[in-house]
Amino acid sequence: MRIPCPYCGARDAHEFAYLGDATLTRPDPAAADAADRFHDYVYLRDNPAGRHQEWWYHANGCRQWLRLTRDTRTHAIEAAEPARRDATQADMPGAAS
Amino acid sequence: MADRSPHDPLAGIAFDRVPPAGAYGVTGEPGIVVSTAEEPFIALVAARNGFGASVAERLGRAFGGPGLDRPHAGFGSGSTVVGIGPGRFLVLSRAEADLPGTLRAVLGTEAAITGQSDAFVLFDLSGARVPDLLAKGAPVDLDPRVFPVGDAATTLVAHIGATLWRSGETGWRVLVARSFEASFTRFLLGAGAEYGLRLEGRG
Ligand SMILES: [Zn+2]
Repeated sequence: MRIPCPYCGARDAHEFAYLGDATLTRPDPAAADAADRFHDYVYLRDNPAGRHQEWWYHANGCRQWLRLTRDTRTHAIEAAEPARRDATQADMPGAAS
Repeated sequence: MADRSPHDPLAGIAFDRVPPAGAYGVTGEPGIVVSTAEEPFIALVAARNGFGASVAERLGRAFGGPGLDRPHAGFGSGSTVVGIGPGRFLVLSRAEADLPGTLRAVLGTEAAITGQSDAFVLFDLSGARVPDLLAKGAPVDLDPRVFPVGDAATTLVAHIGATLWRSGETGWRVLVARSFEASFTRFLLGAGAEYGLRLEGRG
């Protein structure tokens, strides 16, 4: 699988580290049910067949986090956006509008 | 200069020592010449949030190149600017001993600057077969038709983290963490033996 890094261009997946679901929000540690919520957040992950948003870190490249939209059945990558960007990178290829 | 067996160019060379200067691999005119290059002063520039484009432009004006926030190498007289990530650049200089000081004067508070002269060793590779050699270790398409002069890539070469760029028609440079010098040189000799490789002595 090759991942289209917005900065580096298409690169082999071996250059990246995978984190997982990019749609989850870290629970509030001060909430009364924080222990249960953290259990869900850390351990109970969906394993969808199809469209998936996920974090990838370009460890052996530009050292930036990316948010990928990938089909887990075909590895087709629909979008690869920098997780963080500043105003000067707005026109970077793959940048979200 | 020792002439080495074309069949086993690394025979008898301790794995943790930088191999000696000499001719390696097939005999005759070497297809690839390797030296450690002469831009010994290196600094990392990390633009502060919102200043990537401005820092790129200032670096281009002061040290050479188009001044873009891209994986690109710009060349000045005795200096090189290489983009390694968004808003991140390595600046190399032949003569600027106080490179961080000069960069601070050029960039002011727009970037964080750290001296890295001791961190890297810079390899200079020349010859028409260099892309074939690097293709054995780098998961990037380095064909001269798609990787023009000035293109740069931060990637792995033989599982060793490296920043490489094409410095001329048949000239390439590879920046590797200094502690990998022996391992990386061994990769070059093994991968380059079939083209004939001359490793030049260091000063
Ligand atoms: Zn990248």
